[in-house]
Amino acid sequence: MKINDNCVGCGQCASFCKKGAIEVKGKARATDACIDCGICVLYCPVKAIEVLV
Amino acid sequence: MKAIVIGAGLGGLLSAARLSKAGYQVDVFERLPITGGRFTNLRYKGFQLSSGAFHILPHGPAGPLAHLLKEVGADVKIVRSDITTVRIPLKKGSQDYEKGFKDISFTDFSTLLSHKDRLKIALLIVSTRKNRPTGSSLQAWIRSQFKDEWLVKFADAFCGWSLSMKSNEVPVEEIFEIIENMYRFGGPGVPIGGCKGVIDALESVIAAHDGKIHTETEVSKIFVENGKAVGVLVGEEAYKADLVISNLGHAATACLCEEVLSGEKDSGYLKILETLKPSAGIKICLAADEPLVGHSGVLLTPYAKRVNGINEVTQIDPGLAPPGKHLTMSHQYVAPENVKNLEAEIELGLQDLKEIFPNKKYEVLLTQSYHDNWPVNRAASGTDPGNETPIPGLYVVGDGAKGKGGIEVEGVALGVAATMKKIIG
Repeated sequence: MKINDNCVGCGQCASFCKKGAIEVKGKARATDACIDCGICVLYCPVKAIEVLV
Repeated sequence: MKAIVIGAGLGGLLSAARLSKAGYQVDVFERLPITGGRFTNLRYKGFQLSSGAFHILPHGPAGPLAHLLKEVGADVKIVRSDITTVRIPLKKGSQDYEKGFKDISFTDFSTLLSHKDRLKIALLIVSTRKNRPTGSSLQAWIRSQFKDEWLVKFADAFCGWSLSMKSNEVPVEEIFEIIENMYRFGGPGVPIGGCKGVIDALESVIAAHDGKIHTETEVSKIFVENGKAVGVLVGEEAYKADLVISNLGHAATACLCEEVLSGEKDSGYLKILETLKPSAGIKICLAADEPLVGHSGVLLTPYAKRVNGINEVTQIDPGLAPPGKHLTMSHQYVAPENVKNLEAEIELGLQDLKEIFPNKKYEVLLTQSYHDNWPVNRAASGTDPGNETPIPGLYVVGDGAKGKGGIEVEGVALGVAATMKKIIG
């Protein structure tokens, strides 16, 4: 999962992540717990998350 | 009559509820899977955090938003906060809270002034209601009247908390309109269920009047025919309507119909759009077993380095946290030049909280920042060009098009009410 420069750090992704795999401080960061399920992509209000294929 | 609303944030849903109640067939298109925009709840570790706004209506059960909710028949319980307090250093002359502090009532702010200045402020409170100051920033106006840095600090905390601006960025006219609204409507309150309590109630109204909300549906174009807005494009499908309401702010709305908005005819409007600046801020969400603020209102912190104010919504609605827990949230203004240093700004905010709540146990749940395309306000308060656009039938609502003197969501409500008056009469 890649988080691009659009990210503002609002934390919306973290609240919808089922794995608790997103940390937020100014920007979101995926931790090792991320399984690339891509759910967060849908909820990002600024199109900042890209799932790597 | 058909109406299309772009964006299911607070401004969009208020408009949709009002129009559907007036007999319009309403379709709301929302890009995200959730409604409410920056005014809904985010569930996190059992707490009801928020997607943006605090779970507060700045003017409580008597304010413009409460009034509009009542008018559309949205069933929301709003409970008035008991008090707003201001934390000041214990010792006169101290510039921080390190050596102790005390809390005073918001309305007692003038007790910290000299006798002469107290007298002057008493006179100004009366005289400015008739002759409002104009033509400068709030800070410049304060400095023209007083030589007292406390008043500037106090103004910065208030403007930071309520507008996410500094007192030298806020037009003095805007603040006096806000003060007038405080006389008129009173202080803040908390909607039961938080922001989502309001959003759910509005959705019920829209559904009851056969309005439709389409989530995960992005509008890519606004159709304009013979100079008038006539519908939108969603994917490959064209939706026709008699009017289009955009909750996206003026700039993003203009992008959806840019080929119609070029040329000399609209250059004035386009120039204003270039000047609109979104405001930035940071929210820090704390969880605690014992109350941190201890009352249901706002605690302003003018002597903190970054944090402007804090509130504890669980004092009014314990349902916003797991049983026995408190949810406490701080807000801090972020200066435009510091948006690139958000981590450092958050760190300063966290240090402030340690000073504001010494010897208290709490957990930092989440730090949330807002700027640029997902800001505190799409247009800084007092700067937007209103709800109309150069295109008849196309209106803008939301935090990019507020009424005058409207703090946060109260401004959104005033903007929607003004728009509805133009449309419905």
